[in-house]
This record gives sequence, C-alpha cells and structure tokens, in this order.
Amino acid sequence: MRPWACVIPALVLSLAVPGCGTKKENGSGVPHRPAVVIAIAGDVDSFNPLFAEDITAGEINDLLFPALVSSAFDRNSGELRYAPLLARSWEYAGQDRDIVFHLIPSARWTDGTPVTARDVQLTYELYGDPDVASVRQGAVDNLRRTGGKLDIRKSVEVRDDSTVCFHFARAYPGQLFDAGLPILPAHILGNLPRKAIRTDPVNKSPVGFGPFSLTRWTPLQEIVLQPNPESVVPYPAKLSQLILRIIPDYRSRLSQLQSGDVDLVSGVRPEDADKLAGDAHDVEIISTPGRDYDFLGWNNIEIEDHAGPSPATIRPHRLFGSKNVRRALTMAINRDELVHAYLGKHGQVAFGGISPLFKWAYDDSLKPLPFDPQGSRELLRREGWKDTGGDGILVRNNVRFSFVLKVPAGDQLRTVVAAAVQQQLKQVKIDMKIEQVERATFWQEVTTRKYDAWLAGFSVPLQMQLDDLWGSDLAKYPFNLTGFRNARVDSIFAAARNLKSETDGAALWKEFQRIVHEEQPCTFLYWINNIVAVNRGVLGTRIGVLGTMHNAWEWHVGDAGRADASTSH
Amino acid sequence: MALSLLKFLTRRVLHAIPMILGLVTLVFFVSRLLPGDPASLYVSPGIPLRVAEQLRAQFGLDRSLWIQYLSWLSSTLRGELGYSFAHNAPVRDVLLRVFPNTLLLGATALVLECILAFVLAALAVRTAGSRFDRSLSKLTLVAYSLPSFWVGILLLSLFSFSLRIFPPSQMHSVGAEQLGGLAAFGDLLKHLALPALTVATPGIAAIARYLRTSMTETMRQDHVVAAIGMGLSGGRVFRSYILPNSVGPVISVIGVEIGVLLTGVLVSETLFAWPGMGRLAVMAIFSRDYPMILGCTLSGGALVVAANIVADFVRAWIDPRIRLT
Repeated sequence: MRPWACVIPALVLSLAVPGCGTKKENGSGVPHRPAVVIAIAGDVDSFNPLFAEDITAGEINDLLFPALVSSAFDRNSGELRYAPLLARSWEYAGQDRDIVFHLIPSARWTDGTPVTARDVQLTYELYGDPDVASVRQGAVDNLRRTGGKLDIRKSVEVRDDSTVCFHFARAYPGQLFDAGLPILPAHILGNLPRKAIRTDPVNKSPVGFGPFSLTRWTPLQEIVLQPNPESVVPYPAKLSQLILRIIPDYRSRLSQLQSGDVDLVSGVRPEDADKLAGDAHDVEIISTPGRDYDFLGWNNIEIEDHAGPSPATIRPHRLFGSKNVRRALTMAINRDELVHAYLGKHGQVAFGGISPLFKWAYDDSLKPLPFDPQGSRELLRREGWKDTGGDGILVRNNVRFSFVLKVPAGDQLRTVVAAAVQQQLKQVKIDMKIEQVERATFWQEVTTRKYDAWLAGFSVPLQMQLDDLWGSDLAKYPFNLTGFRNARVDSIFAAARNLKSETDGAALWKEFQRIVHEEQPCTFLYWINNIVAVNRGVLGTRIGVLGTMHNAWEWHVGDAGRADASTSH
Repeated sequence: MALSLLKFLTRRVLHAIPMILGLVTLVFFVSRLLPGDPASLYVSPGIPLRVAEQLRAQFGLDRSLWIQYLSWLSSTLRGELGYSFAHNAPVRDVLLRVFPNTLLLGATALVLECILAFVLAALAVRTAGSRFDRSLSKLTLVAYSLPSFWVGILLLSLFSFSLRIFPPSQMHSVGAEQLGGLAAFGDLLKHLALPALTVATPGIAAIARYLRTSMTETMRQDHVVAAIGMGLSGGRVFRSYILPNSVGPVISVIGVEIGVLLTGVLVSETLFAWPGMGRLAVMAIFSRDYPMILGCTLSGGALVVAANIVADFVRAWIDPRIRLT
C-alpha cells in the first residue's frame, strides 16, 4: 500500500472528528465551562502596571492589581465617583491636602503574603522613580515635597500595616484619581534593581491580589485569566475563565463573534454595528458616547516657529494664522453630513474640546458653526483671499490657498472623511491634497509639529486636565499640535487646578469652550461612540466610559451564553 | 563523499556569513532612517515627556549609531540577538518561541507546493497541447502573479467568512489544549489550511510551470524515447526516466522559492494571526523594535541560505553528474 493512501484518509478524518467542528459539539470529552472569550486586536505589552501602556493591558492589570479605590462614571452628572476597593475607607486631613486610607487587613497576594501599607508606599516609590521609567510617573507629581525634593517615604506615609496617608502638595480635584493606581507587591519588586524591573521575568508571571489571576499567556495567541479564590478585593471572579484571544484582523474578529466563537468585540465600526444588530440576534450592540474625537488640525503658526527661540518671534501661519480663516474652513465643511454618512447614530458633531459626557462642564448653549459655504467665501474674501490666479484657487500676496492634509495610513474612516473634506473645500476654492502617512511616522511627525494640516483624533482624559492639548507653552505641552496660544485659557487651567472639587470649575470650562469655539484652532469634526458587540449571554457587564472589563469580576454567563469554550475556533 | 560534503558545507557557510552580515548591517542602518524610535511610542498625552527620554537612556538609544551597532553585534555573537523593546525579552527567546510555528507553516506550504505542483505538471504533460494544458498554463501564470495578501483575503472571505469551513485566525481553538490526539491534530490542520494555501499558491504555480517544461524536455531525450521503444510501461518510464531527470533543475528553483515563501509567510501570518516570525517582523517594524527587526532579518536570511544549501545538496544527491563545489 502506498504511504499517501493512508495519510490522506487520516487527514480527512482528523479534520472531521468532533471537537474541532462547531462550538455546539462537545464530543471531545472536555467538560463544559462558563468562560467568556474576548477578541482583542493586539498582544499586551506588560503585565506590570508600571510599564503597561496599551488600554487592554491596563484593563487586565486592573483585574490583577486592584487600586486603593475603584472609580465609576456617573452618566447623569458626568462625574467620576470613587468607591472603596483595597481601601475599605478613607478620610481627608490637613486642610484636605492629605488622605488617610484604611486598607482591608485580610487582603493577600496570590503567594500568600499579606497586602500592606508598605506595598502602597513602594508602589508609588516605583511609579515615581526615574530609573524605573514608569509611564505613570505623573501620578507622583502632585505629592508633597520636602525641601524641594520628592521623598515618597514621607509623602506616602505608612502609619501601620493597614493605614497609609498620602500627603499632597495641595488639595485638588484629582487626588483620589492619582491615589487610585494599581498596587504592586513590595516583597517581590522591592528587591529588584530599579533599572532591571522592566526586563525581569516577574512581569510575565504576575503575583496579584485581584479577583482574577493570570493562568496562561501564550504570546501573540491568548491570555487566560481565572478567578483568584483567595481574593477579597473585591471578591473572586464569578466566571471560571476570561479568555482574551489576539485577533489582529478586524473582519476576523467580527466573523468569530457572529459564529459564536468569541463573546465580545470592542471598536466595532458604525456600519457594522447596525448590520450586526440586524443579523446576529444573540449579539447586543452597546454604543457609548465616548471621549474620542477627530479633528482637522490647522497649524496656527509657522512650522519652524514651534521650536523658535522666544514666543515673541512666533509668526502666524501663512494659511491658517487667522481665526477668521479657520472659521471659514470649518464653515466650508458639512460636519452634519459627515456624521450622518459615516457614523450615523454612533457619533455627533464636535465643537469645543470637551466631551458631552462631562455634563457638568459641557456647554450645551454653544452650537457648532453652521455649514455655510457662502459665509465661508465671504470670510475668506474679507481676509484678502481672492481668486485672482484664474485657476479657481484663492490667492493672497502671491500665496495660493493650497496645502497637503496628512492622514494616518490604513485608517478607513479618516481616509473617506478626508476625501469628503477635500471636495467641500474645493467648493470654496481651496486646494487640499491628501497624503497618507505610515501610522508610526505620522504620530512622530505630527507630535514634532512638522505638518501644516492633518486629520487625527484625540481622547480626552477622565480628569478634566486639558493643559497637555491646549497649554500655550509649546515646549512644555507637545500635544498642543496646532500651536494655539491663549493667555486666558492658561489662566483657566491654572484656576481649575486649584479647586477642591472638579465641578466647581464648571463656569471655567464653559468659558474655555467659548474661547476655543471662537478661535477655532482646529476644526473639530465629531465625537465617536465606543461601540462594543457582546453576546447576550454574558451578563453583568457595565461597558462604558471606563472601558470594557473594569467590572469583569461581576460577569457571569446566562443560558444564552457560551456553554462550551473548548470547541470553538 | 563525506569529505567533499564537509568541504561544500564549510565553503557555503563561509560565503554566507559576510552576505548575512552585510544584510543585517544594511537593515540596521536603514531601519534607523525611519522617523521615530521605540521610545517615541511613549510620547502620549498623560505620560510625562521625561519618560521617553528615560526610556531612550535605558534602551541605549541615546548612544551613537555605531556604538549601538557594535553593541548589537556583540549581543548577537553571544547568541542573544539583542533585547526586544516591545516584548521586554531577549530577541532570541521571543524568536525561539515562535520559530516552530513559522517552520510548521513554511514546511506545510512547501509540501503543498511540491505535491500540488507535481500533480498539476504531470496532468499537463499527459495532456500536452490540449485545451486543459493551455488552461492550466494560463491559470498557473495568473496564480503566480497574484499578490499573497490578495490570495489570503480571497480564501478568508470564501472559506471563513462565507462558508465558515475554516477558522479565520490563530493556530488553535479556544480550549484546544484539552483536546487529545487526533482531535488536537485536526484542530491544528483546520487552522493551518488557509495560511498554508496562501503561502503556497505562488510557489505551486511557479514549480508546476518549471516542472512541466522540464518534464516535456526530458520526454524528448533519446534515452526516454529508447525506453518507450523498448516497450517499458508508461508508469515505469515516468518513474525511472522522466521524473529523476526532470526534478533536478526544479530543486534549485525550490531553493530560490524559499525566499518567496518567506515573503508569503510574512503576509499570511499577519492576515491569519498565525503566531510566527513574519507577524513578529511586521509588528517590529510598526513599533520600531530595531533588535527584533534585525533578529527576524537574520533568521530569515539564514533560513534562505540554508534552504539553498540543502537544495544544492539534494540536487547533487539525485543527479550524480552534479559535483558539490
């Protein structure tokens, strides 16, 4: 008998055997388990909160290393609310500059060591240490300094094993936010040389104390979490497994959701959300107004002046230097149409740099500049831009109104939006060319302010701190990409920083929006909802502003959910 | 024979070393021309600017290019291949973890290429000049010209998204670690099918065309005509005379095809989320993970060189007229 004569039937048989067919079958003898499978686009960068930069890694780390406090977003008021987590209670002291936290005494690391105030202290020592180079270094910036120097042992004071006091330099709205970072094991990380922590193998087998622990991480493939039965912060997860499958291709993620092989997909595109809602009855679409907006960036000042020797030498940009020109650009773009065509009910026109989510700060009395090509032409004419060249493009002082809009490559929505904007600007005799730039190069060049115009997006922080994006000190704030400078805005930021409660600054933030609306440093396009598709059988989720998995320990699987995690693709 | 083989291997390896060194040196300096660096990924609102500078110092990116190059070279000579910024692990460890996956995909694709190309070529030769032969010739030309990513998307749309026969990504099902024996093997094969076919398609077309030409030429040679004239059966003539004399030139082509195959692996692994070296390389380019880019280049280069050496050796083994030099 020829060898292949038995090989081929064996192959066919192995493809056909139960256990690798649909998930409804379970002929392999694997017991049924209530697990939830989440499809994610990329692998995590670290299981150590000191270094994890990507959002998924952050969410996983929060499940392994809880913080002193948990946060929840109040949709009605638009405020962050804090609740006990590792800290069972806290009180303010020292004219509200200090917060004393009382820890749950029974909390244990997964290796059995008690979680103590010393862990909290060391955690902040590590976050702040330049040798560690943590991405969360900014969390210690507002702690009290002694003799001008930061001494974490004094700023984060251990009073006893279960009492720790944070001494801040001043009372400010974000004290609990800054004290709410994941807590790390001092008995493990404290003994490592600081510069070596980033590369230590301990980051791949984390010892935590949260509701989940890491069972298995297969790089580029999957991350498997299981309940930590000893957890008291807040309690062991109800699911028997939380599996994160790394599936970079968006279409594959959707396909596997539809086939029931995964239970949850984030970042669903608006056009697919409506289709999924119609086609897949066991999938629920959760569309949450988000903190992400897209904008057309206009460089307000000449590119070379961003690195200029002094603010006095800064020149307005030859095309976008005047606020009237920028207003004219905004008025030439039909943002309602863009939202209607590409986002539908999953977005809304943006105009002031503060998300409508933050109801206490959002100025709903302001209205977006209208789509008014005639008004736009008139504004441009008054600014001296006229069609004198005979080629249908505006000219002023021998400068044609022609520029290149840079767009990150591979971004489908931004590519089509750029094309629509190009057509609309043509109607007011402005020549805009589109150039797609590889994503990493785009961000490198846009943050070093090398472009005249670009289409990008930002996510506003949960804390109302917008200095990074709009502060006038261009050297200090590299994300003020447009070179917008306004003394009143700076004073608003300074005043808001020194308020005890964030909501006390409502009037300040509304004034900020009015200034930005008037100046139009960029053309805000739209706020984009965060769209998540989730199997209806996954119960207890609270998907929203804070992310997808932030309460994953409360999740459980209902009748319609995944009954068998062993036989799907 | 053993001595000449040793001499052959030594000579080829010695020739390969400066070639691969030149390749990685070129890639080292060219990759630094890309805007940004690994630390610039940490330039983001909410992260203090000083963090990127601290990381540049930790990663050694603040040193001169030549010092960085020599440092990488010395790490490579020690077998570590540098340290991956994105994976926070030695490049060697990361590569060793995924290399078997790439090898499995590549080897499966190569086997598919050889088997299917052989079948197609044999069919074409048997029906030489017919409409089938002409159609096959055109089809293989089209298949050879198709970009791998397009083939992959086509297969994905048809067999995964529409027919749902094969899974669209990864190499195992959820919970596959609990499957045993044949079921686990079947699960792996299901995941392997589309990526392997994507990689193999251009190779199948190329090898089939070479093999058909080679077989047609061999059939016209005197010793084959004589064998047929002596009344030997068609099957015996094919196995004993046509095949051994046709395969030789094609083996060299297969050696060269390994390079093309690696390009396909790059595309296929990315498209099908196959956890291998190709996907690592693409991720490394986007995250400016220089040591990983170099590690993948070095491994890929070494693989191509090794494949060519093996191809030359096999060719000499099959055809005694060829001497290993």
